[in-house]
Amino acid sequence: MPPAIHPVDLLRVLRHQRLTPAIVFLTSRRACDEAIGSFEHRQLPIPPTRSSAITDVLDHMIAEYPSIADHPLIPTVQRYGVAAHHAGHLPSWKIAVEELMRQGCLDAVFATTTLAAGVDFPARTVVITQSSVRKDRDIVELTVNEIQQLAGRGGRRGKDYVGFVVVTPSPYIDLGPIANGLTNHPEPIDSQFVVSYPMVLNLLKAHSIDHIQPILEKSFAQFQLNQRTDAYETKLDDVEAQLETYGQRECADWIAQWQSFSLAKKRRSHHRRKTQHDPPEISAQLAFLTPGRAVELSKDYAIVLRQYRSRGQGAPMLTVIRSSGRIVEYPASAVTAVIDEVIDVTEARRFPWCTPQSLEHAVTTLEQFPARLRRLPIRVDPNGADNPILTETLMDEFPCPTCPSRPACQKDHPQALKLRQEEHRLTKTIHALRTELWHRFQQHIEVLQKFGYLTPACQLTSEGDWARLIRINHSLLITELIRMGAFEGISASLLAGVLASIAHDDDRPASFAGRQQALISTLGQVRKIAHSLSAYEEPPLLRLDVAAIVDRWIAEPTLPWSELIHATTMAEGDIYRLLARTLEYLSQLHGLRSTHPGLADIARDAMDLMRRDVLQELP
Amino acid sequence: MTNDTLANQLAGLSVRLLHRLAKNRVPRHFRMGKNRLIQTLLSLSPEQQADLETHLSSLLQAHPRVPQPPKHGKGDKPKHEPNVVSRPALPPQPSVPAKPAISLQALLEGIGVPPPQSFKPDDWQQEAIDRLTTNDVILSVPTGSGKTYVAIEAMRRAIKADRMVIYTSPLKALSNTKLTEFSQTFGADQVGILTGDRRDNPQAPILIMTTEILRNLLYDAASGEIDMRLDTLGLIILDESQFLADRERGVVWEETIIFCPAQARLLLLSASIGNPDEIAAWISSIRSESCHLIQHRNRSVLLRAAYLDPGGKLAPFFRTRDIARGRGFALHPETKRLFANYEEQTLSPRSKR
Ligand SMILES: Nc1ncnc2c1ncn2[C@@H]1O[C@H](COP(=O)(O)OP(=O)(O)OP(=O)(O)O)[C@@H](O)[C@H]1O
Ligand SMILES: [Mg+2]
Repeated sequence: MPPAIHPVDLLRVLRHQRLTPAIVFLTSRRACDEAIGSFEHRQLPIPPTRSSAITDVLDHMIAEYPSIADHPLIPTVQRYGVAAHHAGHLPSWKIAVEELMRQGCLDAVFATTTLAAGVDFPARTVVITQSSVRKDRDIVELTVNEIQQLAGRGGRRGKDYVGFVVVTPSPYIDLGPIANGLTNHPEPIDSQFVVSYPMVLNLLKAHSIDHIQPILEKSFAQFQLNQRTDAYETKLDDVEAQLETYGQRECADWIAQWQSFSLAKKRRSHHRRKTQHDPPEISAQLAFLTPGRAVELSKDYAIVLRQYRSRGQGAPMLTVIRSSGRIVEYPASAVTAVIDEVIDVTEARRFPWCTPQSLEHAVTTLEQFPARLRRLPIRVDPNGADNPILTETLMDEFPCPTCPSRPACQKDHPQALKLRQEEHRLTKTIHALRTELWHRFQQHIEVLQKFGYLTPACQLTSEGDWARLIRINHSLLITELIRMGAFEGISASLLAGVLASIAHDDDRPASFAGRQQALISTLGQVRKIAHSLSAYEEPPLLRLDVAAIVDRWIAEPTLPWSELIHATTMAEGDIYRLLARTLEYLSQLHGLRSTHPGLADIARDAMDLMRRDVLQELP
Repeated sequence: MTNDTLANQLAGLSVRLLHRLAKNRVPRHFRMGKNRLIQTLLSLSPEQQADLETHLSSLLQAHPRVPQPPKHGKGDKPKHEPNVVSRPALPPQPSVPAKPAISLQALLEGIGVPPPQSFKPDDWQQEAIDRLTTNDVILSVPTGSGKTYVAIEAMRRAIKADRMVIYTSPLKALSNTKLTEFSQTFGADQVGILTGDRRDNPQAPILIMTTEILRNLLYDAASGEIDMRLDTLGLIILDESQFLADRERGVVWEETIIFCPAQARLLLLSASIGNPDEIAAWISSIRSESCHLIQHRNRSVLLRAAYLDPGGKLAPFFRTRDIARGRGFALHPETKRLFANYEEQTLSPRSKR
């Protein structure tokens, strides 16, 4: 049995059962093109009247979009009534295919599953051939939302009594996920809020720093965080109610009092046994190194899972989880800084000392940590509270031994202490959730201050005032390049080439012949700067080949589109998108004309030279 | 390791990691879903299994448990796998096995083109249009239901009241389609389009743009330097608003909604999502008027599912003719048989050439 049905056989069955027109979703662009190509070998032509209807529509489209006149797929479309529609094609071609489909001229369109959102036309039937898709190097299952988006194209309102989803196997299919996707409720969606430099600059342009927090609180991110907070608050209320039940004791904070008293007791006996004691800066830290605490160990962050004493020396030790996911033991002295972050960790009695959920939570938290976190200042008591003699005198200061509440305290303490710790942890978690976005905003403020876009009072400097107009990815790199004068006196084509390599974030391989020296050395400089900024902003790919394509398109204003696409292995649609994106970046530089007239002029020139041929057809 | 512990550990892995484990061990692993991957991995020979366990422990070290996507992390994608665990394994237990399975003939009954009918808006369409005069509206209905009709009628009302309308879509390609569509409805002079580098007819009462461009306009307006007439803006339509959950671009939808001028009404058009009520509650909490949710899951055209064997044989996909919603599923016995047969033939080592 073949691993998948032949496209021609597929169409034959669909036609026979009156299931056309159909949209056939395939795994890759290549699969779509090959499917179309295969019709040439297995004749299944449509009647001449239909062919001529297709020709009429196409003629109409060509009049509007001349670039499709010589499209290599046109003969196939006319003869067999099928077409391919994917991101490798020019937008004008896709519009033509959509129009043909809308007019009912086609029997089948072969499209990629990944660009389902761009397939904005219905059909009687949708053919699904896969249950998983390749995303960045991994294979992931389609979500319910995705499957319903695909299936939803089946059945045209007003043109069909009934629509169909036809599932046909390929090497990428399992029926379970598809059946589930067709029948289950769609997944809820979550906020993907991120703070960016342009966001910070633009908000601070319009609002003073005091007004920022209320604005961030309006986000869907905060709305969802608040819902989590509400759950924690209910828990906190519950814990506090339990604590209430212990009633009044002699002293106000009996739990803390009893805790220090029993600690002091323990310490005294401990010091009798052991001569060695901790240096004051360590013992000051120890109180903070509880499970869930974030710490800095040399250059990396870690989260404490437990604190214990080494068997032999009695030295304070920590078990931590590092961002690599490894669980490691360290002496407490290895901690270079205590971070002002405590995450929720449910302790466990055995390795890894907490629940798997907590471990997972710790790793994700570590992965999310920004490059710099707030440290917790720790005050070291110069008198050294660990001095055994001092402990003795401290003992005298505790009222506990003779207190009337003593029996009750002794009995209730273990449970009460747990509740109190839970209370602290919940309070901290709630605080963290409430201020998370604000923290991230502040981190961005610090970077912008460091680079001189913001004053210490969080107002825009003259640099910040124009930099806020660069509202694209890699904005920090671009504004830094401008400030360094990297674009001064640059040619229009080189400027566009550099911006293209900053804008292009696809690592799909491609090749392009004809690179030039100027581009190589400029990109080398840009790469250095991008690297130096990598702590603050992810460096772009800076591909030379895409820079060279754009550079050539501008440097040779008479170069026809067909020649440009022949010089590279990149698909036509990808080149179009690359150029369109570069135009967008250039127009942002052009927006700086009041502060950087020279640069704006170069950008203008580049844009004028770029907009020709195919790039003029659509807005 | 006992089979049970192994099974448990495997169940705790993401599908992504399971595929990694299955690579070079299970032929055509990429076609399998989670449950079947686990089953297949558990049925490997003892030697292979020992090797698998070593690989598994190294994977577990590199990815201690399944690192769940951090909610607001930058470098990760929103992976939704909540159904993985609850999904019934293949073959699923039919929830109501009483009724006989549908025949192919019955499945294919009634295909055809209905006679043209005079257009009559659905109740939910009318409700959305009416609500928009006083409230923000979020419309979460299946693909192809007729959200555009609501958009067009809302535009018509806004223009009549001398208000400007901004319509955004996530993709330039969709913007172009809408430009054509709206120009046909309202006349070319009534519709303009703004892109990063081009402005066509920017004085028109209806402006089409991508959501990023609108966000930028709103930032310019906030800092008081705007050459647009945002004070006459009466309506903002955000099409395909499920993009709110897009990993890279979702934040732009949030910014746009937060900074949407108070006097303008918001209309969010969205495909079916799991929590439109949550989004409506959020918008209500930050805007002066409450956001009205209009939601339904009923498709306007019936949808049925079929299975097509590579040999050309067609069968009903489910036991029932219509696709049941939210009540589990039962595959058609014929489809089960055909697929099992397909699996056997394409997965067995013999067929691997
Ligand atoms: N009340 C109605 N009666 C009959 N047909 C309708 C009605 N409303 C809309 N339609 C038709 O339904 C079809 C689909 O409409 P539309 O494109 O607006 O769907 P949509 O909800 O925007 O889908 P998508 O999720 O693909 O964006 C159109 O052809 C439209 O003419
Ligand atoms: Mg629509």
